[in-house]
Amino acid sequence: MRTLKYIGRRLLILVPQLFLISIITFTLVRMLPGDPARLELGPLAPQEGVELLRHQLRLDKPLPEQYIAYLQRLLQGDFGRSWVNSSSVAQDLLIRAPATLELITAGMLIVMVVMVPIALLSASPSRGWLARATRRISFGYGLLAGALPDFWLGLVLIFVFFSVLGWAPGPEGRLAILDLPPERVTGFYVIDSLLTGDFDTFKSALSHLALPAVTLAFVYGGPIFKMVRASMEAALHSDYTTYAEGLGLPKRTILLWAMRNAAPPAVVVTGVVAGYLLGGAVLIETVFNLNGIGQYAVQSITTADYAPIQGFVLVAAVFTMIVYLIVDLLQFMIDPRVSARAF
Amino acid sequence: MNENKIDDDRRPQHSPASVTGSSAHRSVIGIWSRLSRFDWVVLILFVLVLILAAIGPLVAPYPPTIANPLQRLMPPNGAHPFGTDENGIDILSRLIAAPRTDVLIAVLATSISVAIGAPLGVVAGYFEGADRRAMRWMSEGTLRLLDVIQAFPVFILAMVLVAIRGTGAANVVFAVAFVNFPVFLRLVRSELLSQREQVYAEAAVALGNSELGVGFKHLLPNAVPTVLVQVSVTVGFAVLLTAGLSFVGAGVSPPTPELGAMIASGAKFMIIGQWWVAMFPGLLLGLIVFTFAVMGDLAGKLMEPGQRDIASPPGLPNDNAPVAQAFAEGAVLSVRGLTIGTYGRPAVVDGVSFDLMPGEILGVVGLPGSGKSILVRAIVGLLGHGLQRRAGHVLFRGKDLAELDKKALRAIRGYEILPLLPNAKSQLNPLVRVGDLMLAHIRAHNRCSRHEAHARAVRMLGSIGIGDAEHWLTAYPYELSGGMAQRVCLAIALMHRPPLIIADEPTAGLDVTVQRQVLDLMMELCHQSGAAQVLATRELGIIAHYCDRVAVLHEGLIAEMGPVRDVLSAPRHAVTRRLIAAADLRAVSAAAATGASSEIF
Repeated sequence: MRTLKYIGRRLLILVPQLFLISIITFTLVRMLPGDPARLELGPLAPQEGVELLRHQLRLDKPLPEQYIAYLQRLLQGDFGRSWVNSSSVAQDLLIRAPATLELITAGMLIVMVVMVPIALLSASPSRGWLARATRRISFGYGLLAGALPDFWLGLVLIFVFFSVLGWAPGPEGRLAILDLPPERVTGFYVIDSLLTGDFDTFKSALSHLALPAVTLAFVYGGPIFKMVRASMEAALHSDYTTYAEGLGLPKRTILLWAMRNAAPPAVVVTGVVAGYLLGGAVLIETVFNLNGIGQYAVQSITTADYAPIQGFVLVAAVFTMIVYLIVDLLQFMIDPRVSARAF
Repeated sequence: MNENKIDDDRRPQHSPASVTGSSAHRSVIGIWSRLSRFDWVVLILFVLVLILAAIGPLVAPYPPTIANPLQRLMPPNGAHPFGTDENGIDILSRLIAAPRTDVLIAVLATSISVAIGAPLGVVAGYFEGADRRAMRWMSEGTLRLLDVIQAFPVFILAMVLVAIRGTGAANVVFAVAFVNFPVFLRLVRSELLSQREQVYAEAAVALGNSELGVGFKHLLPNAVPTVLVQVSVTVGFAVLLTAGLSFVGAGVSPPTPELGAMIASGAKFMIIGQWWVAMFPGLLLGLIVFTFAVMGDLAGKLMEPGQRDIASPPGLPNDNAPVAQAFAEGAVLSVRGLTIGTYGRPAVVDGVSFDLMPGEILGVVGLPGSGKSILVRAIVGLLGHGLQRRAGHVLFRGKDLAELDKKALRAIRGYEILPLLPNAKSQLNPLVRVGDLMLAHIRAHNRCSRHEAHARAVRMLGSIGIGDAEHWLTAYPYELSGGMAQRVCLAIALMHRPPLIIADEPTAGLDVTVQRQVLDLMMELCHQSGAAQVLATRELGIIAHYCDRVAVLHEGLIAEMGPVRDVLSAPRHAVTRRLIAAADLRAVSAAAATGASSEIF
């Protein structure tokens, strides 16, 4: 019951936030020099077409009415048209979104499965070889993380693993040029190829995903790694851990209970990073030619194609707000103090 | 009152370090001596980057912007140590010239972010604490607006801003500044909120200054160290952003030497094996960002008064000398020559020895900083970070605790030796239910089912007067009052009827009436089970009322020790007399309130 009430309240906050996002994307295009209808149709369109669109988009009406018209179009799923591809932006985004989501998911999986355990181990004060080795790794990683540009790291990985070693495919996209994409179920090639039992495509999709996902995990996992390590260290040096040791509790219990305390801040940082990634990993997509929505946006900016940019910015901002919402809900679930304070 | 005393008493653990630290940080030499070798490397790199940014283009060995088609894409060689790029320009020269563009843009952009963000942060912080509701709403609204702005993809936002205003360095500065200013707004606001609670802020307002004026004049300067640390980190991030923008062609365009554009021009050659064109700019870019990020930490370290790392001990000094003095026959606990300290500093506890017979209650008393807390914690082996046993032995029933392996030690701690520590609420893990802790503790030492353990926990809570035990077992520590938390710890301490309880200010943080209840209960139950106790406290009244013997600790040494009555009626050491004199005043009021503990004086 309490949980439901909290979710309801938190969802209520989302509504004005979404309105704000739509207002900002609306003004973003109005800030551009020139006529929005002309921008959407591109420099080559005839003047009559522009006039027609102006009328359709109600651009000849006062601003508030223009905004309402914009909202109405958004609610109908109409994000405008790209003049470069002459295709519907909503359709374009929908086709490309799985590539981006697959990259983010794979990258975050690497962070969770490889980096978080290393961070946890390196926080333990033990003198064993494993703890010492992970401490050394975490020192080195702490120096590099956040300093290396993702687009450059991607290039270096391509150079080492494709050009020199030949272990990984080059930056040719999500599949080799001759591979056919698997039948669309979720849009994630790795999952879809497994579902349809197409193991060759699965192997190809996975090998094409490996380098970009590693790049993403290495560059954007840094804050998560540091937060997990710092909060685990704080938990292990805290009074309650000392007391639990004094009570002779098993080591396993002590570590698990310390991890409970390290979890809430780690979840928050993970959420912030994940929320950032949809709009933040655009350069990785560009370098590896994954053709996700980020690369779509970058291409649109270079061709001055504004409808796709507007659509992308909107989608990325909404995605971030929704991730923040999920983080808040998760925190509510794992920390009883938060739920006590919420009322 | 009570709260303050505890604070004093907890601090001794760190006092030796902070005393010398604070005197050292005032002198310049002190600051430099605090730098590690790693810090020096960072500092030198930082200066190098700044020099490069200032005079880079002037010292490049070859002209960094003039193409030479005859020397296209030459790999690193004697004349061109980093090779040449697709236009035949020496890469080293371009690298030397490039930081001017990147660092200058980043520094300018960050300065603008601070110039916009910091004053807005002061205003937001001021509004948030204001009495009028409308103002608080405005501040709340600003923050939610920032949430939304920060939800927008930074990179695309910067790209769009550059697209709107056209490429070129000035527009990149503007875009980078815009995406970073919310960081400083938030930072200054939260610094301000924490500082306006400080006494000096209230004093300044009380003297008739306007709140907003105080914010700018008195509080903002105090936020400077934190802001500077963030500035350094943000400059690093801004360098990355600038390079990223140029990489996709939305920033500084060629032929101006710029690291992101250099990487972009080398990208296609990287794949076909001509790695040097893109490799070196990326390395330099990483180095610059790294230097700024670590410089932020370093600056924070230098500006924080008395902040220093505790030097890590070079392994445990193994003192395996045979126990010098034979321990008393039948003693529960024998401490011999126990010496504890931080590496490289005077001992905090220095050569302490005593014996404790079954059922005996030994009070350890002393001024704040005398080392009593550390002494009792050392007995249970719960020394804090950086402290270690340098010499001496702690024998429990004739066994040296330091010689036991972890498993044997775990079996004794929590079963035969039980800790009872101050501020019980902070001893309980905030995310573990009381019942889970009690059950884990029971089952760590007794083989029994959860069900059985649960029943035992309920019985134990009942026996120390907690009704409704079922309810409290499902409670989280934040739901407990201080007194209730201490009772729970008491129940845990007495669960296995241990022969020895080590209590460190067990009633600190509780109010006076609850203190008495808890202590009376504790003594009664210990008496029933025959547990011996070491009880560290600074309240002589507690010693006088409850203990059999007392040890007066002064600067880590036992000043005097003996039966309570003898020591208090005929003190031989000046410290004891001071403690008695100080306690006397309080004993009068305590005696008036409780009618007890006065007959001893």
